[in-house]
Amino acid sequence: MQADRAAPRQRLEQERRALPFLLPALGVLCLVSLYPLIQGVSRVFYAYRALSQQNVFVGLENFRLLFQDPTFARAFLNSLVWVATSVGGMFFLSYILATMLNSRFLRFRRIFRTLTLIPWALPGVVVSLTWRYIFLVNGPLNTVLAALGVANPPSWITDPQLALWTCIAANTWMGIPFVTIMLLAGLQSIDRQIVEAAAMDGASYLQAQWHVIMPSIKQVVLIVLTLQTIWTFNSFDIVFVLTKGGPGSASITLPLYAYQNAFMYYQAGYGAAIGVIILLVLVFAVVLYIREVLQ
Amino acid sequence: MRLSPTKRVLVNLVALVYIVVLVFPVVLMFLNAIRTEAEIIQFPVALPHVVTTENFVEIFRESSFMDNLWNSFSVSALTVCLTIIVAAPAGYAMSRFRFRGKRLFSAWLLATQAFPGIIMVLGVFMLFRTYGLLNTRLGLVIMHTSFSVPFSVWLLKGYFDGIPAALEEAAMIDGCTHLAALVRIILPLSVPGLLAVATFSFLLSWNEFFFSLVINRAERLLTLPVFLSRFLGVGGMVRWGPLSAAALLATIPALVLFMLGQRYLVSGLTGGAIK
Repeated sequence: MQADRAAPRQRLEQERRALPFLLPALGVLCLVSLYPLIQGVSRVFYAYRALSQQNVFVGLENFRLLFQDPTFARAFLNSLVWVATSVGGMFFLSYILATMLNSRFLRFRRIFRTLTLIPWALPGVVVSLTWRYIFLVNGPLNTVLAALGVANPPSWITDPQLALWTCIAANTWMGIPFVTIMLLAGLQSIDRQIVEAAAMDGASYLQAQWHVIMPSIKQVVLIVLTLQTIWTFNSFDIVFVLTKGGPGSASITLPLYAYQNAFMYYQAGYGAAIGVIILLVLVFAVVLYIREVLQ
Repeated sequence: MRLSPTKRVLVNLVALVYIVVLVFPVVLMFLNAIRTEAEIIQFPVALPHVVTTENFVEIFRESSFMDNLWNSFSVSALTVCLTIIVAAPAGYAMSRFRFRGKRLFSAWLLATQAFPGIIMVLGVFMLFRTYGLLNTRLGLVIMHTSFSVPFSVWLLKGYFDGIPAALEEAAMIDGCTHLAALVRIILPLSVPGLLAVATFSFLLSWNEFFFSLVINRAERLLTLPVFLSRFLGVGGMVRWGPLSAAALLATIPALVLFMLGQRYLVSGLTGGAIK
């Protein structure tokens, strides 16, 4: 910044040169990102009246209705459970997998790594359809369970107690590759000698994990957790294909409920209000994510 | 750290269990593509007794699959081109110039990750209706490009940072402009970075569902993910044979591209987070 003040003309010159390079990106982002964001948010102040077939200004009415809507409350709670358990599960399982993949004692490491990534390359809809098939009442999973002697294998998708957890399982499965590959890159950047020194000083396995490895990969961990929180909170494909939020509203999440309002019940304003709530919940994660990356 | 033989076996065993759990469901689903409908219902977990091609025949003969395949392909390919055209110069500016608002621009690029789809789609819906971009491939291309640009700029900036500025400076002394330096010197040296961006943006566009579902409603304009989701219909039986065949066909291009590009993509992804 000191140098900037010393040579404002030089900085201006740099800006003049930078602008043409930035323009296409600025154009795309303003037109298809900033403008729709503002437009979309402004929809919360309007409601569609079927009688007059018009959108009328209603102020904060949509939010007032939101807080009295039991389905919204359900979707909100479901979303919190959905994010906390999916992201937690992904992290836990991926951490173990990344540790295995980083181990010198693993054979065929390259093949393992490539196979780990496969679910990540698949279209979300294909993943969701796959799990819908696996979880069918008379599907593969229950066939295996029956063969193992489980008397009444559950109906994973249509049981209101289970539907959300079925979605969470599929979502966790889909998230593992990305989290694993990021954590693995973090683990590979750690000097093995540090870990060995800790072991020699008498640190137990778990102590070494917590006091030596975790602090070394703190930044990757934070980036992965915040990113996955953001993606999972906004995620749509899995719940839409697996359960459509059902049975009833047992497995509904905020993005799905917003979609239903905007495109099935023609209440765009109400849908946008749900979107704004999502955005508000995510602000904390986004700020944390940006801070970590820009550091 | 010495690992005892038991632990050695354990490491390999646990990793094997993971891989089976990660790959098995997909294999099971795709096997249905060559099984008969009766077999699929009767024996959910089994190898095909008779290998059939009827599912593929049905997909090609009785559905709009070829149109949808072409839609997905053209939208994804154009998204890749547009992403590179837009992101490469921006990444170059981020890497080589100092300008006011650079931090804000970086933060903005990262923040786009978090914009809720529903808000964006409502805004875009009105914009596209005004400009006649609803139910067009171009609309989807523009939309998908806006999703892939932020990460691509970020990735390319990181890549350009690793190329010494002295190379262009030498060229510019010889009268080369910045743009020419970017095109003739930097980009040819950045092929791995560009391949990472191409893989990323192709997969993003190829796999994208939500916006494709909402923006394009006309049957012949649907992309593959939306086409696949239509199999679920409203109640009634899902026909898993043809569905699996279509899902397999929709997955192969993504998988092949991913296998080819994963090396570049993975180093591009992790490069930003690990310093």
